[in-house]
Amino acid sequence: MKILACSKISDQGIFLNGIQQSIEKTTNNWKKELYIKLGVEYPKFYKMDALAKMAFLGFELISNSTSIDHLADDELSLLFANKHSSYDTDQKYVNSYMEKGSPGPSLFVYTLPNILTGELSIRNKWYGENIFFIQEKFDPEFFIDQINFYFSKGSNACLCGWVDSAKGIEECFLFLVENKAGELSIEELNNYYKQ
Amino acid sequence: MSDLKETLKEQIIEQLNLEDLTPSDIKNDAPLFGDGLGLDSIDALEFIVLLEQNYDIKISDPSEGKEIFQSVDSLAAYIEKNK
Amino acid sequence: MKIHITGYGLISSIGFNAEESIKSLRIGQTGIERGRFEAMSNYRVGAITLSNEELKERFELNTDGSRTALLGMVAAKQAFHGHEISDQIRTGLISGTSVGGMDISEVEYKKYLDQTDHNPENYKHHSSGTSSMQIAKELGISDFVNTTSTACSSAANAIMMGARMINNGLLDRVIVGGTDAMSSFTISGFKSLMIFDDDWCRPFDESRKGLNLGEGAGFIVIESEKSRKLSKKESLAVLSGWSNASDAFHQTASSPDGQGAKLSMLEALDRAGLAPEDIDYINAHGTATPNNDLSESKAIQGVFNEIIPPFSSTKAFTGHTLAASGGIEAVFSILAIRNGYLYPNLNFRTPITETGLTPQLKFEEDKEIRHVLSNSFGFGGNNSTIIISAV
Repeated sequence: MKILACSKISDQGIFLNGIQQSIEKTTNNWKKELYIKLGVEYPKFYKMDALAKMAFLGFELISNSTSIDHLADDELSLLFANKHSSYDTDQKYVNSYMEKGSPGPSLFVYTLPNILTGELSIRNKWYGENIFFIQEKFDPEFFIDQINFYFSKGSNACLCGWVDSAKGIEECFLFLVENKAGELSIEELNNYYKQ
Repeated sequence: MSDLKETLKEQIIEQLNLEDLTPSDIKNDAPLFGDGLGLDSIDALEFIVLLEQNYDIKISDPSEGKEIFQSVDSLAAYIEKNK
Repeated sequence: MKIHITGYGLISSIGFNAEESIKSLRIGQTGIERGRFEAMSNYRVGAITLSNEELKERFELNTDGSRTALLGMVAAKQAFHGHEISDQIRTGLISGTSVGGMDISEVEYKKYLDQTDHNPENYKHHSSGTSSMQIAKELGISDFVNTTSTACSSAANAIMMGARMINNGLLDRVIVGGTDAMSSFTISGFKSLMIFDDDWCRPFDESRKGLNLGEGAGFIVIESEKSRKLSKKESLAVLSGWSNASDAFHQTASSPDGQGAKLSMLEALDRAGLAPEDIDYINAHGTATPNNDLSESKAIQGVFNEIIPPFSSTKAFTGHTLAASGGIEAVFSILAIRNGYLYPNLNFRTPITETGLTPQLKFEEDKEIRHVLSNSFGFGGNNSTIIISAV
């Protein structure tokens, strides 16, 4: 298993393959600024909730440095997890019907954490496997085990992510691995996460 | 009319949770659905709620929405006609 | 490696266990009725007619939790009945849920808004992960606990994940499935999407208008042959195939040609080493929405061509139990294999014009049912299929 690229967005800043990018994450508008800076043309971005936006941007960063054009459209598996599920959007949605009396369908759509894998698949036309787990914290061993399952069943690449947004804390760690010679240790993966 | 359009843009941003957009990002005649802002049938439901809550206009058949919600211009024109 | 199924359990609006459920399926008795409680009184829902206190008492539950967790405990306990915790058998629990503890949180939040009697302690039940841990605690399972959250395919994905962990030698035995309780959150959300039917839902019927929600839980126990020899449990059926694919079309709607669904069914068949004509019954996702049933029908035609096996949706019985549906329907599939059952698709009159397909219309038994295919498709284009086979 070989890591091809990774991106990390957190309070420390925005990183691609360990190198800090020149967009500050201090403004509330950082997602829009990054979207514009990346030169992406995908208006559906604006509808997404925070989780989906972060995952989207995390992958756009990665795809600027690494191409996966050689993969067939069902060869890439998506493996994502977080601790808080769709907490932020859930809160907004509850407000929309409890306080405003009007449940918002476009909000409700995002009250499931796996919609972000759906958004990635729609954008990139990926038809492979995808899953979302809820866990206490990022567990590198778990991810490596799961990736090995996918590779043993014939998947050639895996886009993995820990994407969480709750109570003011935003975090998006994405990494792309390919089924190629090479070792990825738990420690190494943890180091990438801790950037 | 241009006040209405500005207000509409703010309401669209709020109703559809397009929190990263400002009214100046939305052109009056730009398509809202499909290619333009990329809105879809779920968002059309939000427009129906928006019309009812803010302008007291009821659309009983969601499929009428396609014409009405094409752009800020067409939406404003519809509101002016039906308020 | 064969994955043996050595236990099953479920609770839904048509029965508090498998035996009661079969009685309802046999006589065509739906569990869907106009909701008894405030939030649901305008809708037809498949609700379980026991309060949380009644669930705890009747099923002797020792662990506290949200309704989602309690329902999960009931079903998981049934499945695990007769199994024992052992040092020699690494045992895990993987549960799928979309509601988690939201059923408690929304009540608590309303109290907070109304300034009555608010107890923030109760939010501890909120997390999806917490409900799984509470179920595991009730069963005494601690080796491995995990939670899937992929909407209506959550339980099927939990089943798939459990099978993989056994195949790869990480666990010997896993309780897998899903649970979801009724909540205002979900009811108002589906209402805002305008995909309810005010009437009883009509899966695969031309006039179908939408779904009826349900609540429930369904779990199965899967183990390796080595584990089964140690647990000494009878192999009831075999989990022979599983798969997941992305539809890559829309956040909540399925693609018109059912691309993701087709891929998922084909890959599950491939994994099981079966040809389409080997399938004796399809338990469809069949939510009765205009979109799903057409998309799924097209996908079924794409996989099975002219020779389509008997198929039906059991959601007109139980309602759509969301994350639990894959688990509940896995249990129905096991019972179909063991007893030769075919389940009726209620409320059907006219085939969908575009596809012309007629589902199974009556309950039958003693049929030769060797392989059952069960579909669970979640929002986000998350399409899963499992195949259960006779031993």
